[in-house]
Amino acid sequence: MTCLRLEKLSVSYGAIKALRGIDLEVQEGEIVTLLGANGAGKSTTLRAISSMIPTDGGDILYQDQSIKDLPAHKLVSMGIAHVPEGRGVFPNLTVQENLALATWTNRKKDRVRSAYEKVFQTFPRLAERRTQLAGTLSGGEQQMLAMGRALMTDCRLILLDEPSMGLSPLLVKEVFRTLQEINALGFTLLLVEQNAHMALKIAHRAYVLENGRIVLEGPASELAKDPRVKEAYLGGA
Amino acid sequence: MDTIIQQLLNAAQLGAVYALIALGYSMVYGIIRLINFAHGDIFMLGGFIGLIIVTHFGGLPFCLVMILAMLLTALVGVTIERVAYRKLRNAQRMSVVITALGVGIFLENLVRLLIGPETRQIPARLPTGSVVWLQQHLGVFVTWDKVLIILISLALMAVLWIIVNKTLVGTAMRAVADNASVVPLMGVNLNLIISVTFAIGSALAAAGGIFYGQAYSLDPYMGIDLGWKAFIAAVIGGIGSIEGAVIGAFLLAGVEVITVAYLSSNLKNGIAFGLLIILLLIWPSGIMGKPLLKKV
Repeated sequence: MTCLRLEKLSVSYGAIKALRGIDLEVQEGEIVTLLGANGAGKSTTLRAISSMIPTDGGDILYQDQSIKDLPAHKLVSMGIAHVPEGRGVFPNLTVQENLALATWTNRKKDRVRSAYEKVFQTFPRLAERRTQLAGTLSGGEQQMLAMGRALMTDCRLILLDEPSMGLSPLLVKEVFRTLQEINALGFTLLLVEQNAHMALKIAHRAYVLENGRIVLEGPASELAKDPRVKEAYLGGA
Repeated sequence: MDTIIQQLLNAAQLGAVYALIALGYSMVYGIIRLINFAHGDIFMLGGFIGLIIVTHFGGLPFCLVMILAMLLTALVGVTIERVAYRKLRNAQRMSVVITALGVGIFLENLVRLLIGPETRQIPARLPTGSVVWLQQHLGVFVTWDKVLIILISLALMAVLWIIVNKTLVGTAMRAVADNASVVPLMGVNLNLIISVTFAIGSALAAAGGIFYGQAYSLDPYMGIDLGWKAFIAAVIGGIGSIEGAVIGAFLLAGVEVITVAYLSSNLKNGIAFGLLIILLLIWPSGIMGKPLLKKV
């Protein structure tokens, strides 16, 4: 079943065209990664999906329903979570408060309890640091918190904007391993990454963006062998 | 000794009113970085709404008068944000500050037109008898209304503190202050949280207006002078900080009352504003304020 579909989606910032009509599909249960250089339009795509920025043309379908004109907070109650670039934790709120806020759209006691269990099982570190201010966490811990918040919402699809950014190689590995775990729990992931090597390892399918256009798409294992991808994103053949 | 206690209670009463206004300035600045210069006039309007309710529904108990006036003023505050400020949220800071000044002048003239320019007083609804216990044990003559105004104000501040620090709505308000653009990604309606903040700020200002109208008097332009004072209190305390607004308010009121009592009432404003300059030289972000440069 199709979870998310972008049809001819266009976005501009003033006179600059950031996305020039892209088509993209994410099936239920998949990890799909969106690769590309800086400024190719990767973050713009995620921001357009979650209604953080206005779109120009085209459509965004979630479970076969157009969501293009819905406000950002509504999308969360429909089941789309977005882990933003730079993590976006609330630095002066505690870890606990950061997580609690993400339960805003569905406060049913049982659901909230099982969401906490899920998050603390996936990120035991967050349980230890519950009462600490998020601003005092390390970069890796803040990334865990940002992903934990997504799990606290009642979501099915998680959009992730460069979760490995600025982390040490060891932590990068841990982030990608966690993403696979989250996927195994039944969440669908759309992952924007600079680290094409790792992203192609865990993804089922991949798209490559260049100057606001999709230039390549296919199963991740095949794209990993594609000479054009190797040259441009995997540090040469 | 007894005059010192009297003066302290005077300062506490004035400080309580300043604090009720200053909280609104500080909360709104905290979440959307707007100095709502109409807020002093919301305080004035709240007082007049209280006066109108007392005049027309003489039988209502005081607590109902307060609740009704606070609700109505909250509605006005929310409407002002919705109509005048929301569209300008992403505009230049200067545009919305000018709009706020305009809204303030509008409210002043509206009240003058509808009710008249005369100075009014809200008929005493709180008991005005002496607190006998204080008279017997300390030899201080204090009326009940003063004590009640201070206590109710402190109770309102306590309720605010609980809302902001212990409820999910309060968590959302603090999250907006921290990083507003991410708040919708948590499923939280940003506009709703901003409306709630204006509602709470306006309701507290209305409580201040009613207290002021009973303890002192009301006139359509009172919001200018008192609004500035409360704004100074919020800045001294560290604008954006709730605790800071309260500390700043009581500090400012204390300095004013002492100046009037022991120096001269003509020096009151000079010393208050001088205090602002000196304190800000020592603490540029206010007593409880956070330095502008944030980590993260």
